[in-house]
Amino acid sequence: MFNCLLIKITYNSRGLPVRSYRTIAAHELTLGRGAECNVHLPDPRLSMHHAVIKQNDEGLFVVQALNGELEIDGAIVPGSVLTHGSKVMVGPYELKVEPAPPDVNLAISLVLAHRLPDDFQDLKARTHQPLTGASSFKRRLSLLLAVLIALIALALPLAQNLIPSVHKAVAELPIGFDRVWSPGRISASHMHFGSQCFNCHQVPLQKVSDKACMTCHQDIGPHIANPVLQKSAFNAKHRYIGTTRCAECHEEHKAPHPLAKQDNGMCIKCHGNIKAINTKSTLANVHDFDRDHPEFKLTFKTGPKSTDIERILQSDKARLVEKSGLKFPHYQHTGKVQGPNGIWDVRELSCTNCHAPEGKEMRFKPLTFKNNCVSCHAKELELGPKELKITVPHGNEQNVFNALKLYAPKQFSSYSDSLKKNGCAYCHEIIENESAAQPWRVAPLYINQDWFSMAQFNHGAHRTQQCVSCHKVEESESSADVAIPDRQSCLQCHSGSKPKHKRIASNCMTCHNFHHSHFAEGLNPTAKLDNNDVEVLLSIANKQNQ
Amino acid sequence: MQRGNIFDYKNYRYFKIAVVVILIAFAAYLIFEPAVGHYGGSVLGYGLGTVSALMVLWMAWYGVRKRRYRSSGSTQSWLSAHIYLGTAMTVLVTLHSGFHYGFNIHTLAYGLLLVVVASGFFGNYTYMIYPRQMSENMGEDSLDSLLLRIAEADKLARQIALVMPDAINNTVSRACRETSIGLGLIDQLRGYQPNCPSAQAVDDLTAMANSLTPDQRKLHRELYTIMVRRLSLVKRARQDLMYRARLGIWLYLHVPFTIALLVAMTAHIIAVFVYW
Repeated sequence: MFNCLLIKITYNSRGLPVRSYRTIAAHELTLGRGAECNVHLPDPRLSMHHAVIKQNDEGLFVVQALNGELEIDGAIVPGSVLTHGSKVMVGPYELKVEPAPPDVNLAISLVLAHRLPDDFQDLKARTHQPLTGASSFKRRLSLLLAVLIALIALALPLAQNLIPSVHKAVAELPIGFDRVWSPGRISASHMHFGSQCFNCHQVPLQKVSDKACMTCHQDIGPHIANPVLQKSAFNAKHRYIGTTRCAECHEEHKAPHPLAKQDNGMCIKCHGNIKAINTKSTLANVHDFDRDHPEFKLTFKTGPKSTDIERILQSDKARLVEKSGLKFPHYQHTGKVQGPNGIWDVRELSCTNCHAPEGKEMRFKPLTFKNNCVSCHAKELELGPKELKITVPHGNEQNVFNALKLYAPKQFSSYSDSLKKNGCAYCHEIIENESAAQPWRVAPLYINQDWFSMAQFNHGAHRTQQCVSCHKVEESESSADVAIPDRQSCLQCHSGSKPKHKRIASNCMTCHNFHHSHFAEGLNPTAKLDNNDVEVLLSIANKQNQ
Repeated sequence: MQRGNIFDYKNYRYFKIAVVVILIAFAAYLIFEPAVGHYGGSVLGYGLGTVSALMVLWMAWYGVRKRRYRSSGSTQSWLSAHIYLGTAMTVLVTLHSGFHYGFNIHTLAYGLLLVVVASGFFGNYTYMIYPRQMSENMGEDSLDSLLLRIAEADKLARQIALVMPDAINNTVSRACRETSIGLGLIDQLRGYQPNCPSAQAVDDLTAMANSLTPDQRKLHRELYTIMVRRLSLVKRARQDLMYRARLGIWLYLHVPFTIALLVAMTAHIIAVFVYW
């Protein structure tokens, strides 16, 4: 049992301390918010029984925590000895040991050090405004994005274009800063150099020039094989420059579309009104294969030279006669035919027995006597009775006459006559020749290999069709007959660029090639870019740069 | 007569214009198809691109225009046009792209535009839906009056809890001390706070009801009523903050991405003409 002087310090409305004294006699002092405590402290931050003050075995006063917490200098402690001047925090209260008057054992003062905050203000402080710092966030994000994009998509690519030293340094890298400007995939064939834009886009703000293309494509043919016509038709200083840019038809960055434009648009620009380009042109205006494509013209060989050709309209039937120098009735060479070895030797002939396709586009191997004729027609070269048989060689007629002179000099004129009437003349046209050594000769052969020399016909693309569905040769009795199908027969399956029902869409590029001189056989093989042209091109391009 | 809102402004004038613009663009897209397919560099592509670029600039100008009090036309009319023509412009830009996308500045500009438009749509949605829900949620109250009522409930609850066992007193005073409203951006947008001390207190009180003396039980019932009412007030305050946050959040994207879009669009146009 001890006496304790409890000094409660409160503050009045003027903020001055007010002390109230109370003496308590007890075995122990309990502090807490519970009503049964000796020291009742009504504060929610305290426990019901927060702490207790009692004397220990040595007679010293100690404070011990019960359900609450005690703090000394900010450290939580389970208990402490109370000596004069010691300070212990009991929840929000500060407990201090005061000097004890004579009749009490212990004097303590209690002061509410941490007042309970005002609920409303406290709650308001814990209520956050929505989207605080929005404007600064927006400003910073705007700045960040703008700077980032401007740097990567604008400043670096422009620096590469405008500052030569940067350009030089970047050229060594696998891709340039301007890669971000690429609008689409590059076609596979250009990919190996396409990662550096300047390989094609050589001058900023200028469209891709032909010079860039010509760096590699030096052998590309012009549109018109005849260089004089090419120049005059396009009113061009040079036979390439001034016609049309390569890139107008060859659009890059559009993969997987083909690099060459496939529509009629570019062709019709000129061929829709060809007189506007060249007043002397004899060509007809064309817009569409179905609508207004003119009749086909067939190319006939007229002489030994490659330029000896004549182009004849298919409708001009009177002139549509092939003067090949051969006598070959197709009707006798199709279906079941009599072979050379007696009545039982019947052979079945089809087109491909003689016409052997060659290559991807199925052009045809030239026919030869040795490969195609001799298996049936060997007898035409045999002369004389069985026991004295002479076989003359096929080929040059001089060799034939030499053979006759050597093996049958006596029968020379009769055998020569026989060949002239039957043997050679069985297949060939014969020309009379009044000289004694060479009384006649075989007419030279002008066999057409390319009827549509201005277009390209791909037999491979038509391999699903029967030969005779286009080439009506079963009834042909003469080799002068021309069995090349006309436009109407094409139109049975094909149509214009806007196809009719159940017709195949066909545009200019289906049959024609812009760089035609590649294909115009024998027209002008020299119409290719030579070193001179490259120099002229480069000088023109350089002038533009300056 | 009640004035219409921005959507039916002048009897849907801008809606009609937008529909016409979209139809014209679609018709042109179907009629003029280049041989290599649609792309931004065809004649139609340049046309659509030019119109779209001008429209983007005009849309962005709205941001400047609405901060000026003295300007031509009513802001309501501008906003109506901003919304409808902005939607039409998105269609034009998509057609301009020809549906070619890649890892480049052109697609970046398109992507930024989509972010701007999408955030704009969300903003539109919030302004259509939330103001009504906000007034339903708050009734006559303001946020401050809600907080005041919560604070009063705090005081009452604390007084009752003072004579209750420690566990109850602790959970109540923790609820009073630690409940916060709209703590972070995510919580504000969700309108919900996980581990909320107030909700925790209500749960705890339910659990603790059994271990009380008959006297305390009566007080407990009273305390429980107060805490439940207090929780509903807290939830309403959070809901209010959620609406206000959602009404504002779309501008976080709309404005900065518009700036980014303007830069990217400039880069896109420069790139196209530097490398013709």
